[in-house]
Amino acid sequence: MTPAVEVKNLTHYYLKGTENQVAAVNNINLCVEKGETLGIIGHTGSGKSTLIAHFNGLLKPDKGEVIVDGVNIFENKQTLRQSRFKVGLCFQYPEYQLFEETVYKDIAFGPSNMKLPREEIERRVLTAAEMAGVKKENLEKSPFDLSGGEKRRAAIAGVMSMEPQVLVLDEPAAGLDPAGRRDLINMIKNYRTATGCTVIIVSHSMEDIASVADRVCVLNKAEIAMLGTPKEVYSRDEELRAMGLNVPEITKIFLMLKNRGFNVPEDVFTVDEAVAAFREFAKGGVKK
Amino acid sequence: MISDISIGQYYTGNSFLHKMDARMKFVLIFALLVFVFLCKSFFSLALMAAFTVFAVLISRIPLKMILKSIKPLVIIILFTALLNIFYTTGGRTYFEWHSIKLTEKGVNTAIFMAVRILVLVVISSLLTYTTTPTMLTDAIERLLSPLSVFHIKVHTLAMMMTLALRFIPTLIEETQRIMNAQKARGAELETGGLIARSKALVPVFVPLMVSSFRRAYELAFAMTCRCYTGGEGRTRMKQMKLKPRDYTAAAFAAALLAGVLVLNHFFKAVI
Repeated sequence: MTPAVEVKNLTHYYLKGTENQVAAVNNINLCVEKGETLGIIGHTGSGKSTLIAHFNGLLKPDKGEVIVDGVNIFENKQTLRQSRFKVGLCFQYPEYQLFEETVYKDIAFGPSNMKLPREEIERRVLTAAEMAGVKKENLEKSPFDLSGGEKRRAAIAGVMSMEPQVLVLDEPAAGLDPAGRRDLINMIKNYRTATGCTVIIVSHSMEDIASVADRVCVLNKAEIAMLGTPKEVYSRDEELRAMGLNVPEITKIFLMLKNRGFNVPEDVFTVDEAVAAFREFAKGGVKK
Repeated sequence: MISDISIGQYYTGNSFLHKMDARMKFVLIFALLVFVFLCKSFFSLALMAAFTVFAVLISRIPLKMILKSIKPLVIIILFTALLNIFYTTGGRTYFEWHSIKLTEKGVNTAIFMAVRILVLVVISSLLTYTTTPTMLTDAIERLLSPLSVFHIKVHTLAMMMTLALRFIPTLIEETQRIMNAQKARGAELETGGLIARSKALVPVFVPLMVSSFRRAYELAFAMTCRCYTGGEGRTRMKQMKLKPRDYTAAAFAAALLAGVLVLNHFFKAVI
């Protein structure tokens, strides 16, 4: 099967040609399979946002290529434009991109740019609004009258409405309260089950990534430091800490228990999972 | 590209010019520009040009930077030179063809004008190369402070200028971010005719306006929280004080003026 997004030897420099030239991403090779959820984690300045801006051709690589659904997106203008619709990129704090008079019109901005028929646009807007949790009565309001969390949802719906094959979300939960965070992560999970689309989430919150991602890609200093299932990656606690990242607190406790010889699982990322794991342990777990 | 716009071209340094009091520098550079216009003969202009070269040397600004500030004006300089060559007539005629006439006076005026513009540009660019925008607005505030007699709030104006300068890079960054976000939703910002393009800017300008107002309110809150009440009774951390070097510079400028006037008097005027 052709991968959803494939990146080959991707290098992008900032301040190119000056003495301050630095590689924001350096020789990255990454293959995102169709239907998977990939988490990209990295410290601030590790190149996460630069990397994803290549997926729909907003940035042009200095070296290497980006292949979306089997097509090199920089082949010509057509392929570049198509990549914008195939890969839906939702930036950090997307609520600052809202501009239309009504939420409905704003969500319809993407599909209208795709020159779709009216009925199709309407269908997409309503589906996306529902999926992103935008209340029906808010659709006719001005986006500037919504609360922060509602704006965020409306903006994400504006990307979902293009029905991209790959949805890329940069720090979707940044600045939300814990409840808002949880809702948003659940929303992403539901979106994925409902559409079967590929989802790429960029974050520095290990908790958020752990609960949704099939695979985790850790970026450090413009390069891929680790790539694997959350279990594989999070078991390398020490290395992650050296990169300025942290495994979830609850995972740390379980790693510690494991090291002390208790027969507990290592892939515990949330408190709910921890409770279940402890129950299991109490039932049958024996001290080694 | 949008990120190439550079406002305030301060070049970090520690030269005599950098260390001069911004007010004195502002006044003297303005005076020098006037002196350039006072020059009437080649000799007085040559004195000003020599002084400009001297000032560039002591400012230790690389020649590359100076050339960069001249570059956008090359066309204007050439254009004025061409106009002067053919429209000013007098003196010996070098060349004549139909109505086109190349005369001694024409050539002289053309050269004189070109050098004059060059000197003007380089001198004024020295001000912005050696003074940070904040220092510059501070200087303007102090120089305009007599206007407060007419109930003009000079401090407020200067603060507005400082803030505007401070937020230019921020807004450029923000514009870039919003443009990317809308491009990601398929907005075509770089193609189409004039109407299509200006229409395409709506999705960029509306969010930019909204966020500018948000930033302005936030900043106003933050300033109020730190008890900012405007200019009255406000003191400065860095007091501006005229030092011996500033007086030296002023004396130098006065000598220059004398030189220009003397040379004007003894040599033939070009214009």
